[in-house]
Amino acid sequence: MAFLTIQILNSLLYASVLFLIAAGLSLIFGVMRIINLAHGSLYAVGAYVTAWLVGRGIALGLPPGWLFLLLPLGALSVALIGIVIEPLLLRPFYRRAEEYQLLVTFGLIQILEDSIRFIWGGTPLSADALMDALPIIHIGGLLYPAYNLVVIGIGVVAALALWVAIYHTKFGVMLRATSQDRRMASALGLNVGLVYVMAFGIGCFMAGLGGAIVVPTQAAVLGMGIDALVIAFVVVVIGGLGSLKGALVGALVVSFVRTAGIQFFPELELAVLYLIAALVLLVRPTGLFGTA
Amino acid sequence: MEKTPTVTPTVNRRAFLNTLGVTVGGTGLIGAGLVGGSQLLKAAQDPAKGRVPDTPFRTGHMTFLTGAGAVLGEPSIKGHTMAAEEINAQGGLLGKRKIETITADEAAGTDACVKEVRRMKLDAKIDMFTGVISSGTSPAVGPVAEELGLLTILTDGCTDFLFDKAIPNPKYVFRITNIQSSDGITAAIGVAQTWPHVRKIAHIHPDYAYGRNASEHFTLALERLVPGTEVVSESWPKLFTTDFAAHITKIMSAQPDLLVASVWGGDYVAFYKQALRYGLFDKMKVASTIAFGVAPHAIGKDHPEGVLAGVHSNYYFTYPGGDRWPLNKSFVQRYFKRWNEYPNFQSEGAYMALYLLKSAIERANKLTGGWPEDEAIISQLEGLGIDAPSGYLYMRPDHQAYKDAVTGFSKNLPDYEFASWDPARIITIPIRNITAPLGWPKPGTTHNESTAAANWIKTTWPKVVG
Amino acid sequence: MKPDPNAPRDHSLARLAAAMAPVLLLLILLPTFVETYQIQLVTYGLIAAIAALGFNLLLGYTGLLSFGHSAYFGLGAYTVAFVVQRLGPHSMEFYILIGIPVVAIASALFGYVCVRHTRIFFGILTLAISQVVYSLALKLYWVTGGSDGLRVPRPALLLGLLNFSGPRGFQQFITSYYYYVLAIFVVCVVLMWVVVHSPFGKALQAIRDNEVRARFLGLRIRRFRWISFLVSGTLTGLAGILWVPLNGLTTPDVLYWTFSGEIVFSALLGGFRNFTGPIVGGIVFTYLKTYAVATTEYWQLLLGVVLVTLVLVLPTGIVGGLSTLGLRLRKGRS
Repeated sequence: MAFLTIQILNSLLYASVLFLIAAGLSLIFGVMRIINLAHGSLYAVGAYVTAWLVGRGIALGLPPGWLFLLLPLGALSVALIGIVIEPLLLRPFYRRAEEYQLLVTFGLIQILEDSIRFIWGGTPLSADALMDALPIIHIGGLLYPAYNLVVIGIGVVAALALWVAIYHTKFGVMLRATSQDRRMASALGLNVGLVYVMAFGIGCFMAGLGGAIVVPTQAAVLGMGIDALVIAFVVVVIGGLGSLKGALVGALVVSFVRTAGIQFFPELELAVLYLIAALVLLVRPTGLFGTA
Repeated sequence: MEKTPTVTPTVNRRAFLNTLGVTVGGTGLIGAGLVGGSQLLKAAQDPAKGRVPDTPFRTGHMTFLTGAGAVLGEPSIKGHTMAAEEINAQGGLLGKRKIETITADEAAGTDACVKEVRRMKLDAKIDMFTGVISSGTSPAVGPVAEELGLLTILTDGCTDFLFDKAIPNPKYVFRITNIQSSDGITAAIGVAQTWPHVRKIAHIHPDYAYGRNASEHFTLALERLVPGTEVVSESWPKLFTTDFAAHITKIMSAQPDLLVASVWGGDYVAFYKQALRYGLFDKMKVASTIAFGVAPHAIGKDHPEGVLAGVHSNYYFTYPGGDRWPLNKSFVQRYFKRWNEYPNFQSEGAYMALYLLKSAIERANKLTGGWPEDEAIISQLEGLGIDAPSGYLYMRPDHQAYKDAVTGFSKNLPDYEFASWDPARIITIPIRNITAPLGWPKPGTTHNESTAAANWIKTTWPKVVG
Repeated sequence: MKPDPNAPRDHSLARLAAAMAPVLLLLILLPTFVETYQIQLVTYGLIAAIAALGFNLLLGYTGLLSFGHSAYFGLGAYTVAFVVQRLGPHSMEFYILIGIPVVAIASALFGYVCVRHTRIFFGILTLAISQVVYSLALKLYWVTGGSDGLRVPRPALLLGLLNFSGPRGFQQFITSYYYYVLAIFVVCVVLMWVVVHSPFGKALQAIRDNEVRARFLGLRIRRFRWISFLVSGTLTGLAGILWVPLNGLTTPDVLYWTFSGEIVFSALLGGFRNFTGPIVGGIVFTYLKTYAVATTEYWQLLLGVVLVTLVLVLPTGIVGGLSTLGLRLRKGRS
């Protein structure tokens, strides 16, 4: 049963990261009606910045515990990029057909992917000092890195924080009002521009945080963003675009199905997620929790 | 080539491994079935005969410049560049023609690669094409080079499919790296040599042509060398996956004696880092076909020791080591001086492609004088033997290069900032003993196996008993 | 709002002919003054134009953004490859004859599912279906060759009249194939022109502009969209059929979602509100990508910047921008 426990923890680990990416994607869509195709690349930027910071930190002799403070920094840097991108590249398109926003973000993918390579080169960057700062624990005679539990914890905390922020704060009311009727919100005196920047910034922060917490367990490699985008997309398609609950359920469904696929149907690992997404779409085109 | 009867004979393992010529300890430098004797670099000292134009010799080098494959592409372009710089410093090919290089990005997709090769030949007027990493790209661009009549030395893209099916009778296309099937076979021999008692085997391979090929040939060879093994777990992660947690737990839950892996590049870096923390390396032996195929510094100091860490059966910079093979020592030194890092098999392949060409051109020039026609260069390339940093390199007349297959075990040496090979446990195998011989029937002729090599193993390899 | 079926069609066909004649003449004469390389690049461009033209029936005239047209392009290409592998005859006409019904059936099938939805959900559904097809092409490697793909040798053209097996076969093939593709391209353009100016095309545009009103007019919206999808997918599939002999092989790359992205890119680059927009876009994109890859290893960055700038500066695409410019100039003069 120890193996089962660990597979469940593995699924939760994957779900945490997926949730962070997908929730950001979904939040941005919910508020701004934009599908940010560059979202995966922003996640990759979060991973690279964090790995780079950790590398600098070690070079400067920071004690391992302090390195954890670099995780939010990695995420914040991505939020910062988001705050620049929104007014500069996306704002001109709100009055135009949504195809254009898709295209701009499609162009952004290419710009970001090449920028990452320009800055950090092709060799994988790792930040495993963070992982080694925490012990390896024993679960029924098997080893499990405690850092993975931190990732799961951060996923849970992020989900709760987002929940509170959206449903129990004044800012959340503003977000939801804007998402339901931008013109009405604007007429009521809401600063829609500010809400948009904030929403986009938060969405990017989530993606960046996903990248930041995942990089110590793996490594920052080129192309990781494109891969993440495709899977995050499957998550929001299953859960429903624009729904926080959907992102959560979608992330859980995708990660558990993927683990089951790996465990029982290794040949289908690649196809099984697309098949689920297509099936959900056929039955409920708006996803499990989406609204049209 | 001695042919054994079709009824599978049986032998004893030690005897079989001896017949295969396997040596351990990095002492073997067997020579890749040399036919005509090696053409040493001193040939370059003779002045060129006849009138040679001084127009630049244009090469097109294609490799992964972007995306996840760039971790292999960067060393490839560095090796090529260094060879071109060295040759140009001596005045160029035949002392006259400086090498100029244009590059193309393999990551643009196979269709874009086809377009690029045509552009390089027809528009940029290159004289020769080199490079290619992915075994998806070589069958795409090989036939294009043939139809354009473009002299080509592929420096990887080592799939058997290229010369088995895509261009079974190549005229212009050569390939300098060992054929892909030898990768899986080399790993299997390494396992049979080191851990003959493994029974339960787990597999993890990227889900595309290379992973399939590595898995198939490993299994075929191991069936002969270590009969009675069973596959207890299989994983086929998507290429460029970085989350391996579930795969690792699955592998461990099957409790295998051995894990066989052909995951490469950044994927392997991510894989071993996760596997390490899950304690996978303590629970089983691990044999990989290509773990150390990346640029050496991409592997960390944390890499576990005692892993059979393959290099695509081609080259690792510490072998042949010491002063025994000065060509390698000086190559590694120059490479380090130029790029501040150590070379990998891509660097060596790309580097040697230009030297192989240089040697062929010089030989052709001696015969005819002046700048040789492509035809003359090709006939010199066929059957050419040359000294390379990796040892003796021999270009078979069927355009597939031969060099001793090599693999080794990971070890943390104080000399390097990364895990490298244990110098006392490097395994070498004469390539002719693990590759289908010249003229062996290709798939679709007298048999329908996936590769000529698979058919050759099934027909000729005996089975070990006891 | 029932348009007169006869009068405008004749008129517009004449207009098309008048507009196309000089361009066509130029294209016919092209091989006399450019090199083989440029000929094959233009051939690629024309094929991309056919794909974008088909795609744009959905986006520009029906108001549905498909992000999965790689599926139909790829199915066309793979069908040809299967025909080569299983049935044997190396005849382009045979490929087209088999290929078109296959892509039409696939478009009809997938289209039937997709047109039940609109807007972003339509886009996601098309994307998901194309990704399923992509992963099948990768997984069923014993049929599709997996990531190696399938090879397609140069076929004979015009029922075996033209054969290209000699030593200079490639050069000869390119020139002949250029004219072959050009002829099919002209047929496609005329066909599409007729379609969008027919009552059917008018109905599509009415649905695009105001679905509610169109429904009040008694138009069977879903059926119209479905037929539009069918025509669109088939035309893009035809582009795939024409593409594969030129490329020499097909791999799962042409089924991946980024390839759909390139088709969308092409249409918007040229301008999807204009009939000629996607045609221009397809050709320009082919050149843009080829020369971006050739010029710099940072070609993705270059493409990305061009894309973002174009969308910012030329929202109506190249053709849209040019016609606005033309209008302004004319106004300025008078």
